[in-house]
Amino acid sequence: MSSSSPFIPSLEHLTRQRGVLGSLVVSETDGIVIDAVVQPSVKAPVVAALAASLYRRARQSAHAAGLGGVKYLELVADGGRLCMAGRDDLVVVLVTDTRVGVGLLRVELLRTAAELPE
Amino acid sequence: MSLAVVERWVEAPLRRFVEDAQAVLALLLTPSGQVLAQHGFTRAVDVMSACALAAAIHASSTELGRQLQGRPFAGLHHAGRRRQLFLARADTPRGPYVFLTVFDQASSLGLVQLYYDEFTARLGDAAPPKANDTTEILAENFESELDRNLKLLFSR
Repeated sequence: MSSSSPFIPSLEHLTRQRGVLGSLVVSETDGIVIDAVVQPSVKAPVVAALAASLYRRARQSAHAAGLGGVKYLELVADGGRLCMAGRDDLVVVLVTDTRVGVGLLRVELLRTAAELPE
Repeated sequence: MSLAVVERWVEAPLRRFVEDAQAVLALLLTPSGQVLAQHGFTRAVDVMSACALAAAIHASSTELGRQLQGRPFAGLHHAGRRRQLFLARADTPRGPYVFLTVFDQASSLGLVQLYYDEFTARLGDAAPPKANDTTEILAENFESELDRNLKLLFSR
């Protein structure tokens, strides 16, 4: 990934948090990686495609239920979590292990999503 | 699901791709334009046109890739307003094939690329070895082979 990307400082900051295995900025529509800072164990294109699909479905579900937009989405798995927050077509995706401090990470994720360019 | 195949070994990998990627249309053909399998088409004439166009686009983009970067492009994506197209080569022990798929908002380019990689792996595993007596399709029997395959696809 290019170090000149405007997303890299935010992604590096997120990935430095304890328990975070990687952070990605993903296009919700296309399901492709725009930028990512991930450990080698994280398959960024695969995570991007599936997480974007999940986020899109969640957004459509919330809209269908009359709840408005999705602010934050978290999937808890046996080995960790996927945390997502978006703005327009961009979604910030975090891949974490089980050691992560969810509260602080959620604040950081929402802040990063809010700072995404419109 | 409106899926039809000329050769049985193609069916399971293609069916899985269509289900996973939620593709609207899918077409597997030889680089010369002979159809092997299709999903979503209702008329033989549309399959014939799509095969001819896909083979021509694949040949052009392959050569363009060679000219620009010394090797063929891995895939081609065209985004329309409501539907998108993905065209790529699928290598198998039986030889190279061309894969064309069309998808809409129910899927995404990332999902299609992800499941295309799985599709090519499954296709490679399912492909029988190339028979020694397999004859290349020549210009003089191309049309009769194409007619035969189209009849197979749309006669069921």
